[in-house]
Amino acid sequence: MDTKTKTGTLLEAEELLRAPAPAPLVPFPLEVRVPDPSRQTPAVGQRTTRPDARTHGLGQTKYIDDFYVPGMLFAKIKRAGVASARILKVDTSEAEAMPGVVAVITGKDIPVNSFGPSLKDQPVLAHERVFHAGDGVAAVAAVTEQIAADALEKITVEYEEFTPVLDPLDSLKLETPGVHAPSANIYGHKLIKKGDIEKGFAESYRIFEASFRTQMVEHVPLEPHSSLAQWDANGRLTIHSTLGRITLGRADIARTLGIPMSRIRIIATVVGGNFGGKNEITTEPVVAMLSKKTGRPVKCTFTRPEEFYSSTTRHPIIMDYKTGVTKEGKILARKIRLVLDGGAYCSWSETTLGKACILCAGPYEIENLVAEAFVVYTNKTMTGAMRGFGAPQVCFGYESHMDDIAKALGIDPLEIRLRNALKEGSLSPTSQMLHSVVVRESLLQAAKRFGWTGSAQGAQA
Amino acid sequence: MKRRGRGIACMWYPIGFTVAANPSAAVVKVNEDGTATLLTGTVETGQGSLTILAQIVAQELGIATEDVHVVSADTDTTPMDTGAIASRTTYVTGNAARLAAEKAKLMMFDVAAPMLGVKANQLEAKDHHIVVKGYPQRKAHVGDVANHARVVTGEPPIGSGYFNPATVALDPETGQGKPFATYVYATQIAEVEVDDETGETEVLRIVASHDCGTPINPMLVEGQVEGGISMGVGFALQEEILFDAKGRQINPNLTNYIMPTSLDMPDIQVDIVDNYDPTGPFGAKGVGEPTCVSTAAAICNAIHDAVGVRVTSLPATAEKIHNLIKAKQAEQTRQIAAAG
Repeated sequence: MDTKTKTGTLLEAEELLRAPAPAPLVPFPLEVRVPDPSRQTPAVGQRTTRPDARTHGLGQTKYIDDFYVPGMLFAKIKRAGVASARILKVDTSEAEAMPGVVAVITGKDIPVNSFGPSLKDQPVLAHERVFHAGDGVAAVAAVTEQIAADALEKITVEYEEFTPVLDPLDSLKLETPGVHAPSANIYGHKLIKKGDIEKGFAESYRIFEASFRTQMVEHVPLEPHSSLAQWDANGRLTIHSTLGRITLGRADIARTLGIPMSRIRIIATVVGGNFGGKNEITTEPVVAMLSKKTGRPVKCTFTRPEEFYSSTTRHPIIMDYKTGVTKEGKILARKIRLVLDGGAYCSWSETTLGKACILCAGPYEIENLVAEAFVVYTNKTMTGAMRGFGAPQVCFGYESHMDDIAKALGIDPLEIRLRNALKEGSLSPTSQMLHSVVVRESLLQAAKRFGWTGSAQGAQA
Repeated sequence: MKRRGRGIACMWYPIGFTVAANPSAAVVKVNEDGTATLLTGTVETGQGSLTILAQIVAQELGIATEDVHVVSADTDTTPMDTGAIASRTTYVTGNAARLAAEKAKLMMFDVAAPMLGVKANQLEAKDHHIVVKGYPQRKAHVGDVANHARVVTGEPPIGSGYFNPATVALDPETGQGKPFATYVYATQIAEVEVDDETGETEVLRIVASHDCGTPINPMLVEGQVEGGISMGVGFALQEEILFDAKGRQINPNLTNYIMPTSLDMPDIQVDIVDNYDPTGPFGAKGVGEPTCVSTAAAICNAIHDAVGVRVTSLPATAEKIHNLIKAKQAEQTRQIAAAG
């Protein structure tokens, strides 16, 4: 197609559409701060106001979606919408013919189409296989965001659909088809063994068992994932990105693009919320390749739905607890099994698995312990880093279990925790000697502030 | 009838990653006017960590927080950092920033020593000055020393530092080892009101008692705790991504995926537990993630205290609690009938 003609006919409308909305003129104080010797030192322990509070408060903070670069194109990504399938055919011709569309790419245009913080099992754009419904299958760069979105509708993809694996307990079974066959569905395993678990249970006054499950949730940062790529005439690439970890993110981007790291500059702006969700690359290689193909700056910002189905989420965990205690409520032995729903790709699952497995015994001294954790593939949204890396899930497990034990033994919930709490010099489940331990102090301080007295006062329905 | 209950939950949480290397580097430059510039590869993601890092550098250099300008998150100019993840910035990047500031400070001591007619080891940095220990009147302004270093002696006070927490790999058979340098501890207590006819739960109050070592900025610690609790309330009662039978999300939007708003937030009382970790910068550890860890457990224990039902799967929606109450009542009725 003759892009020159196309650009020509659209020039005026294009320029109008591309122009950013004029920012309201908000006058703000512009006094220059000079170093003031009377300013307070020492600095540590002060309730200092953040310097960015001023720019946030005045609405002056610029997020990537506020950036506009002359000639900039807008990218949108076509999502699979099927959870498990083989891609038979992708037809982008109709989209490419649309006025205002400048380039379309698919998985085959990504030089090294795989990435991941540990296992490199995630494609930038799905090629041949789709592993979850939020997978990208093609990307469009157009002169306006609306044209890019409309062009996605003109891309047709033929799939051979497979039955998706959705339940992590099914995925665990040997007869279940591999999500990433020939790789096994269990892609991570962790075992922590300490003391003599059988002896601990044999000596117990009572043994309690319970199972708990948690759900999949999203980080929901105010600012969705966004990136803007531009190449210069010397073949150097600059990407503005919402990444929370730029130095390692740059290594992943360099790998997918097949160019040296030194040719790439990553600039992270003020990020509008991370919570673990912006710790790996998403749109960066896509905008980089679209920018390379078009010779123009390209920006892509996730829509809110994409934020849900195409970025990472929190691991649902299925937890089985078995705990042996003395009459006084002291834990003698605890056995735990965790199954983490790892979603379609590994992402940060290995760290989550490790933290969940180490932390799931709770902040308690337990001499005899077995904790075993598995993470499995399913054809669902990938699960990854999210505030707490498995800890909120297992805390729901061990603390619900603790209250049930306390109630059955007739011990106050505060008291049973004080009797078992880790202390200075206690050994952790991995037999690490702990320092600066204040479980007891935090329990007593919270109880005092709350006004926690005596046995449970609530209505015992 | 609305019934009140209270629930307690405590937790522990590590700072940084499991075993895998976890380094940060930093560069501190002291400027001619007595201010300083910190270069860090970490990213401000709303948590306020750049302010924390500025406070650490200011403390080490004896200047005010406002005097430290932080340049962050640009791979062309800032040094390696593992990133804003795993509650590691205050502890790991903070240690690196403190060490970088210390190096720049020692360079200034070398320059200031002949200016003040003493040895470098007799100096300290305090109240915007390089001061002779024990002789507070014998001093030179940080800016004058930094300027002297630039235009007279020739070596500008630019220090670099790094920190990489020492860990011991876990034994593959038993999982024994030292996966993290340090941990933080916390307790949250929730007070809830549950309608035993509808199952609807309202969180009235949460008391949160958190350890973060030395709080570098108590206001930012409180902000983290309040934010973490809002996430914990959503995790406990409301939020859930739902899938259809074909594995497609059915509520990928904020109309159907219901998050807590400011109106759903309980009264929050934050206490910082007095603590000091000798391995952290000025005794600090971290606080980001741990704030959302025990909220759901405390709320579910409070629900149990209020209406006597144990929620074993999150979220504890009104429907789920209502069904558990109905099942419990049916069981009681059955037992009474059997006894009669």
